[in-house]
Amino acid sequence: MRRQKPRNLPLLLAPGGGYLLIFFGIPLALAILGSFGIFTIGAPTRATLDHYAELFGTAAIRDSIYFSVYLSVAQTLLCLIVSLPLAVMLDQKFHGRAFFRALYKVPLVVPGIVAAFIVMTLFDRGGIAQRLLAPVGLVLPKLVRDEWGLGIIIAMAWKNVPLMTLIVGGSIAAIPRDILAVARTLGANPLRIFFLMQIPLALPGITAATLLVFIDSMGAFAIPNLLGPIYPLTLSVQMYESAFGENKWALTQAMGTVLSLVSIAVLLSYYAITRRARLAYGGAGR
Amino acid sequence: MSAALPLTATQGNPTRGRRARHGLNWITAGLYGSAFLALFLPLLVAFLWSVVDPATGWFAPDIVPRSVSLHHWQQALGDPSIIRSIVLSLLISTVVTALTGILALPTAFALAKIPFRWKRAVEIFILAPLIVPGIIIGIGVGTLFLRLGLAYTVIGVILVQTIGTLPFMIRILAATFEGIPDDLLHAARTLGATPAKLARHILIPLAWPGFIAGGLLSFIRSFEEFDKTFIVGAPIVQTITVKLWSYLGGKLIIFPNAAVLTFILIMPMVIIFFLAERFLREDVLAAGMGKL
Repeated sequence: MRRQKPRNLPLLLAPGGGYLLIFFGIPLALAILGSFGIFTIGAPTRATLDHYAELFGTAAIRDSIYFSVYLSVAQTLLCLIVSLPLAVMLDQKFHGRAFFRALYKVPLVVPGIVAAFIVMTLFDRGGIAQRLLAPVGLVLPKLVRDEWGLGIIIAMAWKNVPLMTLIVGGSIAAIPRDILAVARTLGANPLRIFFLMQIPLALPGITAATLLVFIDSMGAFAIPNLLGPIYPLTLSVQMYESAFGENKWALTQAMGTVLSLVSIAVLLSYYAITRRARLAYGGAGR
Repeated sequence: MSAALPLTATQGNPTRGRRARHGLNWITAGLYGSAFLALFLPLLVAFLWSVVDPATGWFAPDIVPRSVSLHHWQQALGDPSIIRSIVLSLLISTVVTALTGILALPTAFALAKIPFRWKRAVEIFILAPLIVPGIIIGIGVGTLFLRLGLAYTVIGVILVQTIGTLPFMIRILAATFEGIPDDLLHAARTLGATPAKLARHILIPLAWPGFIAGGLLSFIRSFEEFDKTFIVGAPIVQTITVKLWSYLGGKLIIFPNAAVLTFILIMPMVIIFFLAERFLREDVLAAGMGKL
């Protein structure tokens, strides 16, 4: 369709793109303006940086930023530790492979709120894990509403491992079999192949998955809301509290702006990475 | 980095094949064992909570409930507020899916078939709602909807959920449209097909796997959506997830009720998911479920 009349283009882009512009672009732009005191709810317009000063000057909010970053990093590392070997194993031939490749994705369709509930039934005080370990004399640390957010980390990683495995698995599968076969013939053991070949060659996929899983946990709301301690809150829960608990809209919008900027940076790097990977692998057209 | 590999000594190879096959059975055992621990057991515990007999309860140190009953299931399915939640969730998800398909079709076509400047920027913008956290979208749209009178309405919830389903529907459809030969579209246009006829007789019939896949995933995403729905709709619009939250987030946590709702929520999802799996390529699935 090289000769497509350009007149049609805006008309075609309007339904989907226009919808997102109105319901996503404009509210986001208003939120960013609001964080600078422009068109803020319930206050006269006055351009100001006060809300950012308040954001970084309030200990509770600073702590919530640290807490969110800590949770996201921990959760992402846990996902990597589980997903990388899993993705490599799924690339092998084994009995029941087809079914397992569908089975492991089940947490993708389980809402975060259900993941939180499952962690409660297993790891809360009096949970099944504690009951199972009690006869052996083992006592689990506090895992739900604990100050280290361990329950949050478990629940988020449980949900994100399949996503990461899916993306990393795509990169692993794209590695030509011949290279691995050559390495094996020359005597490299599976561990060497894993660390020296599969991981480096799948790095674009791994990086992309890491970014996605990281930003997903930075913005997660339901899981930290249900499993998190009273203090510190995560940034997302803190936003909710500031907005609906304290009616501090401009401050909420400042927090939202900070979080949005982080996610947009992640989106752009993600796009750059996958684009480069697609050009590198997809260009061959095999 | 593989330059170092040839230097390692070659080992004797005759036993290698046999060992490899053994190793593969270990993979089966290991993977299914982990799936049992990480997926089956947790869901089994949740299920047991839903069939706890209220007369005996389920207290430590019991590993399984002393007696089971369908009491909580009967109570839930006889509770008008839960039935209303189920019907409402189904309704919202159906409308969101239809709306998403209609809005996505022309835009996906433009992205797939028409070269234009700023295309990458448009693509990035369309992907953005998948990356920007739901809480931010929820609060941003929620404040806008408060001014428009759409907050705490079913329509408001439908509109806000569609923000989350549109991006990957557009992506999936664009990927499907790219597979339709340009010649076919040219021929149709030359023979006088209007854009509407083009859509009805060529695009939709040829791209229906994309519509099915995108539709199923839109439905799942909408059905399980919580963050945006919660902020725009709760507590007036009680979808199943919002209802479930009210059992878990309050002062009094009621495990059996939450367990029943959990299964009402995830059973259709898992069934639809296994259906969708058959229609989908892996990368499309990644795009749909995750945030590609």
